[in-house]
Amino acid sequence: MAALQTPREWIGIQQFPPATQSKLLEILGKYKEEDVSSLTVLVMGKGGVGKSSTVNSVIGEKAAAVSTFQSEGLRPTLVSRSRSGFTLNIIDTPGLIEGGYVNDQAINIIKRFLLNMTIDVLLYVDRLDVYRVDDLDRQVVSAITDAFGKEIWKKSALVLTHAQFSPPDGLNYNSFVSRRSDALLKVIRTGAQLKKQDMQGSSTPIILVENSGRCHKNDSDEKILPDGTSWIPNLLNTITEISFNGNKAIHVDKKLVEGPNPNQRGKRLIPLIFAFQYLLVMKPLVRAIKSDVTRESKPAWELRDSGLASRRS
Amino acid sequence: MGDGTEVVVRSDRISDEQVAKNELLGSVEVKDDDKEDEVFEEAIGSGNDEQEEDPKRELLETDDLPLEETRQSSKDENEVEDFEEAVGDLDETSSNEGGVKDLNVDYSVVGESHGAGEAGFDAVTPKMNGDTGEGGAGDSCGKVESRLDVVVNTEKGDTNGSNLAAEDVSIENGKTHSFLGNGIVSPKNIEVVAEVISKDDGIEEPWNDGVEVENWEERVDGVQTEQDVEDGEGTTKNLFEERTEEEVVNGAGTGKNLFENGSGSVCIDNESEAKTNGETGAAYTSDIETNASGDKSVNDSTEVASAETSSPLDKSSSGEKGETEGDSTCLKPEQQLASSLNSNPESTEIRSNSGSPGVTSRENETVRNSNGGHDVQQRPQPNKDLEKQQSSKVNVDPEIKENSHVETEAEVVSSVSPTESRSNPAALPPARPAGLGRASPLLEPASRAPQQSRVNGNGSHNQSQQAEDSTTAETDEHDETREKLQLIRVKFLRLAHRLGQTPHNVVVAQVLYRLGLAEQLRGRNGSRVGAFSFDRASAMAEQLEAAGQDPLDFSCTIMVLGKSGVGKSATINSIFDEVKFCTDAFQMGTKRVQDVEGLVQGIKVRVIDTPGLLPSWSDQAKNEKILNSVKAFIKKNPPDIVLYLDRLDMQSRDSGDMPLLRTISDVFGPSIWFNAIVGLTHAASVPPDGPNGTASSYDMFVTQRSHVIQQAIRQAAGDMRLMNPVSLVENHSACRTNRAGQRVLPNGQVWKPHLLLLSFASKILAEANALLKLQDNIPGRPFAARSKAPPLPFLLSSLLQSRPQPKLPEQQYGDEEDEDDLDESSDSDEESEYDQLPPFKSLTKAQMATLSKSQKKQYLDEMEYREKLLMKKQMKEERKRRKMFKKFAAEIKDLPDGFSENVEDESGGPASVPVPMPDLSLPASFDSDNPTHRYRYLDSSNQWLVRPVLETHGWDHDIGYEGVNAERLFVVKDKIPISVSGQVTKDKKDANVQLEMASSVKHGEGKSTSLGFDMQTVGKELAYTLRSETRFNNFRRNKAAAGLSVTLLGDSVSAGLKVEDKLIASKWFRMVMSGGAMASRGDLAYGGTLEAQLRDKDYPLGRFLTTLGLSVMDWHGDLAIGGNIQSQVPIGRSSNLIARANLNNRGAGQVSVRVNSSEQLQLAMVAIVPLFKKLLSYCYPQTQYGQ
Repeated sequence: MAALQTPREWIGIQQFPPATQSKLLEILGKYKEEDVSSLTVLVMGKGGVGKSSTVNSVIGEKAAAVSTFQSEGLRPTLVSRSRSGFTLNIIDTPGLIEGGYVNDQAINIIKRFLLNMTIDVLLYVDRLDVYRVDDLDRQVVSAITDAFGKEIWKKSALVLTHAQFSPPDGLNYNSFVSRRSDALLKVIRTGAQLKKQDMQGSSTPIILVENSGRCHKNDSDEKILPDGTSWIPNLLNTITEISFNGNKAIHVDKKLVEGPNPNQRGKRLIPLIFAFQYLLVMKPLVRAIKSDVTRESKPAWELRDSGLASRRS
Repeated sequence: MGDGTEVVVRSDRISDEQVAKNELLGSVEVKDDDKEDEVFEEAIGSGNDEQEEDPKRELLETDDLPLEETRQSSKDENEVEDFEEAVGDLDETSSNEGGVKDLNVDYSVVGESHGAGEAGFDAVTPKMNGDTGEGGAGDSCGKVESRLDVVVNTEKGDTNGSNLAAEDVSIENGKTHSFLGNGIVSPKNIEVVAEVISKDDGIEEPWNDGVEVENWEERVDGVQTEQDVEDGEGTTKNLFEERTEEEVVNGAGTGKNLFENGSGSVCIDNESEAKTNGETGAAYTSDIETNASGDKSVNDSTEVASAETSSPLDKSSSGEKGETEGDSTCLKPEQQLASSLNSNPESTEIRSNSGSPGVTSRENETVRNSNGGHDVQQRPQPNKDLEKQQSSKVNVDPEIKENSHVETEAEVVSSVSPTESRSNPAALPPARPAGLGRASPLLEPASRAPQQSRVNGNGSHNQSQQAEDSTTAETDEHDETREKLQLIRVKFLRLAHRLGQTPHNVVVAQVLYRLGLAEQLRGRNGSRVGAFSFDRASAMAEQLEAAGQDPLDFSCTIMVLGKSGVGKSATINSIFDEVKFCTDAFQMGTKRVQDVEGLVQGIKVRVIDTPGLLPSWSDQAKNEKILNSVKAFIKKNPPDIVLYLDRLDMQSRDSGDMPLLRTISDVFGPSIWFNAIVGLTHAASVPPDGPNGTASSYDMFVTQRSHVIQQAIRQAAGDMRLMNPVSLVENHSACRTNRAGQRVLPNGQVWKPHLLLLSFASKILAEANALLKLQDNIPGRPFAARSKAPPLPFLLSSLLQSRPQPKLPEQQYGDEEDEDDLDESSDSDEESEYDQLPPFKSLTKAQMATLSKSQKKQYLDEMEYREKLLMKKQMKEERKRRKMFKKFAAEIKDLPDGFSENVEDESGGPASVPVPMPDLSLPASFDSDNPTHRYRYLDSSNQWLVRPVLETHGWDHDIGYEGVNAERLFVVKDKIPISVSGQVTKDKKDANVQLEMASSVKHGEGKSTSLGFDMQTVGKELAYTLRSETRFNNFRRNKAAAGLSVTLLGDSVSAGLKVEDKLIASKWFRMVMSGGAMASRGDLAYGGTLEAQLRDKDYPLGRFLTTLGLSVMDWHGDLAIGGNIQSQVPIGRSSNLIARANLNNRGAGQVSVRVNSSEQLQLAMVAIVPLFKKLLSYCYPQTQYGQ
């Protein structure tokens, strides 16, 4: 947390309905107990799925710019809010897809931005109301894996936005959610090339989110999902669980950002390779050439020429 | 009509060229006359009855805005039409691509039609006046506008395409063609245009006040001064003045020129805009919307690009280049216009082709206005209005003859008359039709579609009508067509009826309007049908529907494309209201292409379902496979309409759909988008929150989303004029329904009928098109190859090219030997000169330094002389050796024993190892790096000689290979050499193939015949040429050849004949003359070339060489003469002067003087002079034109 000036007070929390507020404060209390003073959450995902909106919803104020049809540049934004000594840092990132490709530049920028920070939780955001997963999803996941390592998925949660929708014909809400999240988890597994046992220890939690202003509300004015849970405390709760799930937080250091130095790789093998070349390649070659030379029969014209030459001289 | 003839007579005076074209003029006149008629009638009794009252009411309020609007748009239309006419002419008379040298003709034709148009107006005037009583205010308004319009054109032409304009005004002006695309000119141009526009604005107010005379003059003055300033290059005649002074003849003549400018400026415009894109956009539209003009320029630049690629000419001459591009650009629009009724090019862009920025900006306004929610039906109206204005313009012209121009106009303007209301009702935007309701803004993009191609219809109609005008009237046929059209109309009304749509629905109204319009344009006396055709059709339709029998002869095939999981299959199920395909939310529901047929409201609908496509680039190979299977599927039974589905609630941003759309364009061709409807599924979803946290309105959201997709499609199709109609789709079972059980969207629209109606409308219009033959192209393949005249001059010049005949390997040097024969006699005396010289010792550098100046000079002279002699000697030896070798070879043939093997060995041995080829000589560059090493390659012993083709105009540090060249020489029966060479080059845009096969047979003494087959890409097509040539070498100093060639290009065959004579007068002088003719489809082009060469006595050593080339080409009476002269003179020991000049009869020329020296580096300082001058010229005009 190098460059963090005194973070702003988390005012937005007061905008939440009292029920939500109390739940949030309860969660913050947990951190107090554990004596953790800050938490860093990284939000990633495809463009236009609602990353910034989710951040805004959680913070309770319009911290990240949102526009429906345009993406907001390539810079990640750090939103940090502190409340009674505890600081919540949320890093909102730009969409990773551009023109059908994963935007490596965006990922690099994110990586550099995160230099010397510790990621406690990764929120991988996607939409709930999309039916299919495709190769792009897998590419995004593997890009994130390449950037931060496999371990990051142990500190991650799958956030599904647009949770307030009615699933297509013949499916009930819960089964749709489970199928959709299963599909995405499978993508994460394949994209991150996680093995079965990797996933056994910690299953990635699913968080449903509805950022729209038309989100249903319950009696105490909390935003709720179709299944009745109030999602903002749920989200923070899950984040808390992940941060305490025992896996190591990902510290983004220089090595991670720049990747392994290709010049260092396999340096020790060089003498071996030379030896191999000398003994097994060059030697036989030289031998073969020599034997060829000795066995060679000179064509007539060469003899004639050499004869001529000798005659002339 | 009397005026019209007068015009013809007087125009004789102008110039011979124009006389020749007056025939054309006559025919156009007739047409215009007719058009006036129709237009007028249309204005009076059009089908849109309900609009006739409201406008009047509005008229009383006399808003500036509506008037202005209509005028503007109408003016645009006016231009477009004229342009199309012109294009029509152009198309008829000449080919577009690669018309090398007859561009002048094209232009004059272009201009012609415009001039003729005016003449036509003249002719009609009296009649018009008779009908309307006195000229109305509306008329005069129209007049003012059209005049102004012309002025705008003039301005543009003058500033930008000065030469094109000037040429026809006074050819003897003799201005050289400057290359027009340079960025310096265009900013000026923009300024001017801006001013003209502002002036235009200024006028409107005075006019509304009813006081105008001073303003008018002021304006005209302003324009004139502007012109004067801009005509700095020395156009002697100010076009405007000319118009005033030289009476109507010049009215016609100038009109011609003016229009020429307009069309000329298209190409210029394009060029400059391609460069100064941003600026242009900004300058044009300082007070108007910016983006449309951006669109325009993009559009233009793409067109230029295609124009460039399609013209197979050598564009070295700048003048020619400009013209060529202009030419093909002129034609391009025509193609586009003819695309189809169903294609939805945005009218803005079509108009922008007419090249006047003023027009563009206005169009923008129109577009914006319509976007702003103006009613759709307002737009057809301006068209009438336009034609009204054309007619009103006429009012003035006769008077011009008597008075000076400006005054006349003032008069007319001031004569506000009671008939104002008569002409104006049509001009005013009508009231909204009843029954539109809330859906109208949504439908807006959709309904624009049909309207645009009205413009198309108009254009191509003019064309076809012109064709007809020359022949006799075909009234019977027209009646028949009208009946058929009526049937189509009835059919469509029945369809609409079944879908529960009233004729007042926007889409229905549009289609009906267009049908009516097409009909009226088609049948010249369309007035008879007029208003009641609709009522009749409506009544008939209702009757038939009520009876419920009489099956509807209509079926529509819809193909559904889209990303995976957007709901393609679900949409189909919704269309049929039953589960035709099973869907699955999580898996790819549709695995293969399948179609289903069914009845929707008794209408036969066939829908093709396709597997979902994937958005990622890495999946495009998969997509391609899918789409290819789709292509195979629809081969037999192509769909009438393509429905591209996407989700409304997915924000496909960051051009995420681009790969997918590109793939679709690649597989089916961009034309697929011309018949496409965009469907947005999940239409019932809630729009996302706006930036301020509140929910954005549904309609806004839909509009934005549609724009995003339309823009993406435009990009993918590479056609900025596309405007796909958008329809909303909601398949969710929980979707709100109305009482009839139809699904209703949040905006109250019932989507299914709308979607179907859109599809049916395209189909219906396609049918109508086919019936009226409005265009040659069937919808769905708008860019199908049109039959066109082959570029004869191009073919001819390639025929005239003197080609060496292939020779047997041992005769490779034959040509030189022929020439050597001449030399031989003189050679002998110098034979041993070199050997006789006293021994000579070359000095080292250090020794040289010690010599005095004169000594040095002497030494160097001596050295040079010796070198020369040595080289001569070497050459002679080489020659001798070759001769010996030949003799030797002949002997070997005689004794076919083991000895020959030896020879084989010797010749084949050394080459059997690949050897590095000598380095390529790369073009000079300022780069310190010498990249020749990148271009090294080995020459293998293979019989095939394969070489890379270097593109010399590439960037530094760029590997400039862009193709492969392969060559081989075969020998058949030891006698007939056959050479095969092929070259394939490919760059980002297109691939070029060139294949040449040639063989030759020697028969008789000194006679040889060669036969060749060429294949090469010309534009977008392959040209196959079969040619044969016979040479007679009967005389020592004279060689004659005659040749024939047949070329198949596209679907046209052209044949050519040539005669060539080569005269070797002496060792110094030789000359090649050739002449030929090329004919195709009654088209004939003649041409001839002459090349004379004067060179040093012992050429390769003495470097003096002068070449004079002349070429003459005649096509359509247009004579193109070009000449070039090149001279190479050695100056001193180590310097060379190379001067080259070329000039054509259009005044375009180029002079280049090159001096190269191996020691006097100071010479390079000479280059500073023009540089400095150029810099100075940058500063100088600014001070002059600065204010």
